[in-house]
Amino acid sequence: MSKAVYIHIPFCKTICSYCDFCKVFYFPKWSHEYLIKLKEEIEDAYLGEEISTIYIGGGTPSSLSLKELEYLLHLTKIFKTTPSLEFTFECNIEDINEDFLKVLKKYHVNRLSIGIQSFIERNQILLGREHTFEDAKNKMKLLRQYGFQNVNLDLIYAIPKETMKDLKKDLELFLKLKPDHISTYSLIIEDHTILKRNRINPISEELDREMYDYLSKTLKKKKYIHYEVSNYALKGKESRHNLTYWNNEEYYGFGLSSSGYMDGVRYTNTKNILKYLNGNRKGESEILSIQDQMENEVMLGLRKLKGISLEDFEKKYQIPFEKAFPLKPLLKNKELQVKKGYVFIPEDKIYIMNEILAKMI
Amino acid sequence: MDSKNIRNFSIIAHIDHGKSTLADRILEITGAVSEREMVDQVLDSMDLERERGITIKLNAVSLNYTYQNEEFLLNLIDTPGHVDFSYEVSRSLAACEGALLIVDATQGIEAQTLANLYLAMSNDLTIIPVINKIDLPNALVPKVKEELKKVLGFKEEEILLCSGKTGEGVKELLDAIVERIPCPKKMDDKPLKALIFDSYFDSYKGVVGLIKVEEGILKKKDIIYMMGSKSSYEVTELFVHTPKECKKDSLKSGEVGYFAAAIKDISTVQVGDTITLQNEKALEPIHGYQPMKPMVYSGIFPIEPNKYEALKEAFQKLKLNDAALSIEPENSDALGFGFRVGFLGLLHMDIITTRIEREFGLSVITTSPSVIYKVLLTNGETIEVDSPNKMPDSVKISKIEEPYIYTNIIVPSLYIGSIMDLCQNKRGIYKSLEYIDDTRVNIHYEIPLSEIVYDFFDKLKSYTKGYASLDYEICGYKESQLVKMNILLNGEVVDALSIIVHKDFAYQRGKKIVEKLRTLIPRGLFQIPIQAQIGSKVIARETIPAMRKNVLAKCYGGDVTRKRKLLEKQKEGKKKMKQIGNVEVPKEAFLSILSEE
Repeated sequence: MSKAVYIHIPFCKTICSYCDFCKVFYFPKWSHEYLIKLKEEIEDAYLGEEISTIYIGGGTPSSLSLKELEYLLHLTKIFKTTPSLEFTFECNIEDINEDFLKVLKKYHVNRLSIGIQSFIERNQILLGREHTFEDAKNKMKLLRQYGFQNVNLDLIYAIPKETMKDLKKDLELFLKLKPDHISTYSLIIEDHTILKRNRINPISEELDREMYDYLSKTLKKKKYIHYEVSNYALKGKESRHNLTYWNNEEYYGFGLSSSGYMDGVRYTNTKNILKYLNGNRKGESEILSIQDQMENEVMLGLRKLKGISLEDFEKKYQIPFEKAFPLKPLLKNKELQVKKGYVFIPEDKIYIMNEILAKMI
Repeated sequence: MDSKNIRNFSIIAHIDHGKSTLADRILEITGAVSEREMVDQVLDSMDLERERGITIKLNAVSLNYTYQNEEFLLNLIDTPGHVDFSYEVSRSLAACEGALLIVDATQGIEAQTLANLYLAMSNDLTIIPVINKIDLPNALVPKVKEELKKVLGFKEEEILLCSGKTGEGVKELLDAIVERIPCPKKMDDKPLKALIFDSYFDSYKGVVGLIKVEEGILKKKDIIYMMGSKSSYEVTELFVHTPKECKKDSLKSGEVGYFAAAIKDISTVQVGDTITLQNEKALEPIHGYQPMKPMVYSGIFPIEPNKYEALKEAFQKLKLNDAALSIEPENSDALGFGFRVGFLGLLHMDIITTRIEREFGLSVITTSPSVIYKVLLTNGETIEVDSPNKMPDSVKISKIEEPYIYTNIIVPSLYIGSIMDLCQNKRGIYKSLEYIDDTRVNIHYEIPLSEIVYDFFDKLKSYTKGYASLDYEICGYKESQLVKMNILLNGEVVDALSIIVHKDFAYQRGKKIVEKLRTLIPRGLFQIPIQAQIGSKVIARETIPAMRKNVLAKCYGGDVTRKRKLLEKQKEGKKKMKQIGNVEVPKEAFLSILSEE
């Protein structure tokens, strides 16, 4: 079976207040050395399987210089890819320009994921981001000219002090840009973030939910399919790479702090940049039992609104779903539903799915 | 050793007056514990005791002391200081001829000091008044001396001064024990009579009893006969604590020590029983003491229903050295099978539940404590009710009486007004007030015991910045306008949350309880109404809104393991809750009824 590849570029030119991903300030001496170590890692670990999706994320991969970018993308030539390869590159809107797009095009990148987050000024100040709608509009126009047909925009909502009015305005602007895919994240104030340090309080649970329902309802009207808790796509534009995760399938993780899942082992590389640059990339790893694997299948699979295929589940684990998990009481309470061979959480309960998962695993 | 060289004594003191520190110093000076072995508060052997700085269980230690070139054996019998444990105090005093009365030089006489002193005096013990902590800069020795003279009638020359911390005056104290406390009466030649005043279970030795030999001699391998439980055993071991265990071949009259007899059945060793010899029985048992009756009753239930048997066993073991504990099975619709347990007071209840959780690893739910009500039925019969759920239907009741206590509240006179306010709000009846000296008073009220159970201690502390001390005794029953209040979750009565409350306070209490439950019960998948109800009338209502969000917003490749752990943590949290119908109730909710905050 074909596999997925994730490559992490930890460098950023500015650090966003909400980000708890593994990141470091962009610093040419490090980024140069980093790419060399990344090459070593890929050459060491890649076993030559067919690769159907590649995702370069961060950090901010677009913070690299053009020369570094060429070097990085050239590395991906090692992968034996399927003809339908989905190749995603994460970028900041301000990093997009013609030279940048030319390089991406040259190496067959065919999907862009852009972290816009919000156009509302107060939100931008709080998140530590800065860009105008006009700029975004021009950049979208440019990348469409370069033939990028699959573009995701990230939107963050439930930002402290945000009102429903703000969100409505924000979504309206996002929709004007006609993205193929929208990832909407309710802001979580994670530990080790600037927001947490500044003791920013989250908005109420009620408003958060109201915003979620508004997004889902409005995007549906605009023909976006709500296919995962936080993700919406036009038909055929679902992120195949991210579906690998939610289908509990295997993938490589390359680079600082990257996680992978291979042969029933989940591993994570070191989060320490100095160790990584010294070629000491090993982090933690965990061998999953069959029970763990089945439970992960549920935790991840039920994030998809379509749910889990009962037939595929039984084929994979040699046990019917209803024998592995208490299906009946959950069906009775309408916390799960079964339709057309799929078990799923109904859309009105997907936003409280942990409550349901806690009863299953 | 000849009984004329034995002194049996205990130390009575209010909490924090430095009793355990002083006991430590005595152990050190008599060489019972070398400095190297010295852990703070040697006698408080339970972790719980050291942690809370209180003594719960009594303990006996035998010490060697040389006085004017003569060897003496001093048996120190430790006592608890809290009002809940005055029963333990009376047990230990029964085995002594004298007691040290410790008063903190910075605090003066407190309510507990008085209560225990009266107990000691009624046991005809010789009392040595000691002012402790004289090393502290804020010590008020002359003032405390005056109190001891004026309130308790001691003479100036009787009063000793010492510091458990520095050791100053401790030697003089030991001398005074030898000089003033009478030796136990020597009656080795009489038939054996020994009083069991404490016991515990040891997994190797079986039941171990702490005894004082009043008459005769108890030897190893003697066949003993317990006069109360009418059972016989062969003594396998005799020992004393110095505080290390030290084996003995015999215990003579006047001596205090421990015995084991390979006893497995814990019910045959009853505290207060008299031991004699099978072949040479004493004619009459030692005049025993009335075991103290429990004052408050609570339901205790295992969170996991299959732990009922384990809980039963735990109670049996605890009861062995806690004669005041009363236990009977109880069945609750909401909580399943458990026990109705009688306690001496709230601290006692807290200690027992903590021990069950720590020593036996059981997770339990404790329901709101109730006092014993006397209910006169319309058919003329009177019944005792120790649980709201046993209260008969109101149409069958002609009147309800509840227990009242008589208080000693000792407090700086500055707070007289606050105390009176508090007691009035607790349905107290003012009795009298005495000045201990120019600045402190002892206030006497009669207050329903149920009001003491309900956050009285907390209020007392906050009203007086911690300066008040309280002691009380039951003074009888009085009629009250009481009603049963039910709490409904999601429309269903939860029997474990029902309480009995005074009619005039019902509305206010009901409102506070439902408000508190609203904050304690987590949101669930559905909205949950909480109601307080008297008869069929709802007097207060709150609603817990349905859960709106509980999701891992993002979950990509790098997050899987971490998110999985988060989910497992969430699941662990659920295990600590009790599922009642569709509602998950955290165990704190069942006791929330106890306090207003």
